[in-house]
Amino acid sequence: MSRTITEAANLLRQKKISTAALVKECLSRISKYDAKVNAFIEVQNEKELLDKVLEADDRFAKGSFIGSLDGIPIAYKDLFCTSTLPTTCGSLMLKNFKSPFNASVVNFLEEAGAIMIGKTNMDEFGMGVFGPVYNPHSILFDENHLENDNNKNIKKRRVAGGSSGGSAAAVAAGMCFAALGSDTGGSVRLPASYCGVVGFKPSYGRCSRWGLVAYANSLDTVGILTRTVNDAKLIYDVISKYDENDSTSMSPKIRSINSSLPSFLKSDSNTDDLRGLRVGVPKASEYYVSELNDPIIELWKKGIYYLRSQGASIVPVSCPSTRHALSAYYVLALSEASSNLARYDGVRYGYRSEKESNENDNLLYADTREGFGKEVKRRIMLGTYTLTAGSYENYFLQAQKIRRMIQSDFDRVFKRPNPLHFIKKDTLKIDDDGVDVLITPVAISTAPKIENCSETNVSVGNNSNDFVNAYVNDVLTVPASLAGIPSISVPYGVSPTDGYPIGLQLMTQYGDEDTLLEVAKVLEKGANQK
Amino acid sequence: MFTTTLKSKFNNIIINLYQNNATHLKKFSTQNLYREKWEAIIGLEIHAQINSKKKLFSTSSTSFNEPVNTNVSVIDAAFPGTIPRLNPKCIDLTVATSLALSGNVQLVSSFDRKHYFYPDLPAGYQITQHYAPISLGGKVTVSPLDGLEYEKDIRIKQIQIEQDTGKSIHDVRPGMALIDLNRAGTGLMEIVTEPDMRTSKEAGLAVRKLQALFRAIGSSDGNMEEGSLRCDVNVSVHEPGTPFGTRCEIKNLNSVKFLMAAVDVEIERQIAELNKGGTVIQETRGYNVATNQTFRLRTKETYTDYRYMPESDLPPLILTKDYLTRIYNSLPELPDDRKRRLMSQYHISLNDVMSLMRENGGVEYFEEVAKDRNSRHVVNWITHELYGLLNIKNIKFDHNPVTTQQLGSIIDSIETDEITAKIGKKVLAQMISGEKRLTPDIIQEKGWKQLTNMDELETICKNIISKNSEQVYQYKQGNKNIYQWLVGQVMRETKSKASPKLVNDILTKYLD
Repeated sequence: MSRTITEAANLLRQKKISTAALVKECLSRISKYDAKVNAFIEVQNEKELLDKVLEADDRFAKGSFIGSLDGIPIAYKDLFCTSTLPTTCGSLMLKNFKSPFNASVVNFLEEAGAIMIGKTNMDEFGMGVFGPVYNPHSILFDENHLENDNNKNIKKRRVAGGSSGGSAAAVAAGMCFAALGSDTGGSVRLPASYCGVVGFKPSYGRCSRWGLVAYANSLDTVGILTRTVNDAKLIYDVISKYDENDSTSMSPKIRSINSSLPSFLKSDSNTDDLRGLRVGVPKASEYYVSELNDPIIELWKKGIYYLRSQGASIVPVSCPSTRHALSAYYVLALSEASSNLARYDGVRYGYRSEKESNENDNLLYADTREGFGKEVKRRIMLGTYTLTAGSYENYFLQAQKIRRMIQSDFDRVFKRPNPLHFIKKDTLKIDDDGVDVLITPVAISTAPKIENCSETNVSVGNNSNDFVNAYVNDVLTVPASLAGIPSISVPYGVSPTDGYPIGLQLMTQYGDEDTLLEVAKVLEKGANQK
Repeated sequence: MFTTTLKSKFNNIIINLYQNNATHLKKFSTQNLYREKWEAIIGLEIHAQINSKKKLFSTSSTSFNEPVNTNVSVIDAAFPGTIPRLNPKCIDLTVATSLALSGNVQLVSSFDRKHYFYPDLPAGYQITQHYAPISLGGKVTVSPLDGLEYEKDIRIKQIQIEQDTGKSIHDVRPGMALIDLNRAGTGLMEIVTEPDMRTSKEAGLAVRKLQALFRAIGSSDGNMEEGSLRCDVNVSVHEPGTPFGTRCEIKNLNSVKFLMAAVDVEIERQIAELNKGGTVIQETRGYNVATNQTFRLRTKETYTDYRYMPESDLPPLILTKDYLTRIYNSLPELPDDRKRRLMSQYHISLNDVMSLMRENGGVEYFEEVAKDRNSRHVVNWITHELYGLLNIKNIKFDHNPVTTQQLGSIIDSIETDEITAKIGKKVLAQMISGEKRLTPDIIQEKGWKQLTNMDELETICKNIISKNSEQVYQYKQGNKNIYQWLVGQVMRETKSKASPKLVNDILTKYLD
């Protein structure tokens, strides 16, 4: 397996390796595997990369580093605006679209010295759970065991997951050291689980969305994909800044209230001592156990036992509103999507139909908006319906209420108060009966086979409800998205039946990324010990 | 320039709106309705551009008449990945306006998206305040101070903040609509009144009253011709004692005069429709200035479902009571208070006050000049002579080149008999043409100083009397009109420089 960022950064500092070598390593893996994996939409051209590499190696020769990520190759999901490479969102609508500005998080990473290696593939505008990317484990599996049986291999191939599948696959296949994705309802955590990498979704508002092309703006968060929890923290430390360009950025005031609240932190983070930590395990009935594959349940149990073996107390908790989360999520996300995608009319940028405009002014953009793919059109239609007079009260407002109930569920379960409410109450209440962290699975299964995810299987066929079945894959990840709380998918082994990776999900109170990452580090070690 | 192939079915409206030929406006006054059985019910929706330097959600400059698409940021053009950012100046000005209208400014308000597709609406939605506007209630009072025969409160339903759209320019290229986004994202205050007006005059005066208020506060230019103030008016008719009739909305009215005319003809149209047994359909109508008629734009069946939803890119707008107090305390003098004060403090008429207030900065200018001077003289000089000459020269009052010291020096020189009023006007004309000096220097150089030398004047008068013995005889016979003719002769001789008072004294002495 490829090096971690920490290792690479150390080697760079010790002058045992050059940035040129790191970039070359990534490029050679891209050229070797990406035809099969399809993780990248565009790879940075060699000239541009060479310039950056030379600059970096020049600096290092003089012993100066501009930041913690100096010289580290990083990839961005193709919905982060970059001024040097096109930003397509995986859509014909934005084919060749070049943004005039960089996303704030891209700027933060560049300021820390990271080198953009390319833009990664994704479900169109972030809408999907399977994605256009092949799971790199299929490729590695082919390479190691089944070199001579190509037909069989293709059938066995699996998806990387969506919507940040390109980012997850690129990290898993060693094509970059880290990648940014976006997580609206699980789009970082789900592919992370399928591909066996770390997928971290910080609190809503923690990382700037300026330059992240919106899918559902009240849910969209920047997500981080890395090979280790430590690497995720390195990236997180760089991008989790207040940004005045994002009106929903967590304010400096909330950030300071948040950091003044006690959270579970061990005095020595090098030990795995979890004594005093309260880990909540949601009731089986509430977290869709009936839908879960046995290998997932087994690993979930193992994860719980491991945390207990490190001293944590395990507490059963109840989140009764969770069962409504998926429906509420899809109502809200699709409503917002239908609104956010209204701007793609071909007037100012992006795809525009060649056809003569429609005679009817009411259908002015009909031809141009044919540029959206099937799933995007479906979601725009559904979202438009839920916002229509009459439906708004029955769907949108109800879904908002459920969202609030889910947030209250979490507030009731956690020991730590929610800093968003704290400013209103002016009192600090620690609930000693509450828990520090929740542990659940991420996905209901390992990565599905391509043949089970093809367009005919998941979209309107004879059974028009098939696409709804695809939406069920988000069932374990959407509660954290609706509540805006931080959540991380940590690889926790592979399924004994098919050999594909499985991740476990940790969630903490809004703003409590510190506890989340600390516990994730311990859990990660547990996975490696098995 | 962005282009789009939009069919130009709105062309007629646009052209009609810019034809200012309204010569055959028919005389019809809704005042007379009360004698008949009908009563009109009128409500206003006013959009006033907020007078901030930057747009509502971006840092682009607000602009009027600048080259197309020069003040457009990625936010205004709704580029992917952009997020609006609220300009606090727009909030200050809207809150000040709301407080001045006795509105209940809400400590928590929020923004929503209103969806419709149009090429000059880049995001496909307008950010507005549908569910929780910034101010609820309030009123605008029209009274004799405004030229109404009685006093009346017009209730305000709500005030909300929203974005302006860009502009679609039709017919510059056949079959194409050109899009200018300079205006896109400029802040608007939308003021919605209750249907409390009963005549076109009340409606017109209410708009004028709001204009005056905006200008006093500095929250909007309130210029209807330039589009910084836009009015839609709802009109229905009914018989008193019965429920309100079906209303029609008249859109895109670009002056108070046209608004009043449009209301009148719409009332007339609806009454005629009902009188012949027909019904009024709820619809949106335009107003054709040239024919002085309203016409159908769209009916209710074709109304858009705007699919309002919360704008989650913007957190709720939370204001504190301290903030409201601070804005309230910094409110300038409001128009009604100002009118009352000016009338009592300076003993000038309501008409004079209104003339002063009609121009931006007129009152401040007057008060500066009126310090230690006869305020009635000062107001006359401003509203008659200065306004008149500026008007001839086509200069707006806010570009008035005559300083308060300059105008004051004219009035002082007349007061001290150094010049006549007539010469004063000549001095003023010089100043308007760019003369920067004060009156004494100007009259010195031009030799316009009044003749006050008694001996010299006596000689001239005696001369005139002796040269015109016939006229003097007639005068003594009782033809008193001859006296003014004789004064005129003296004035002609002295090129109007003779002090009228002294000439009067001398002539009287020698003739009587």
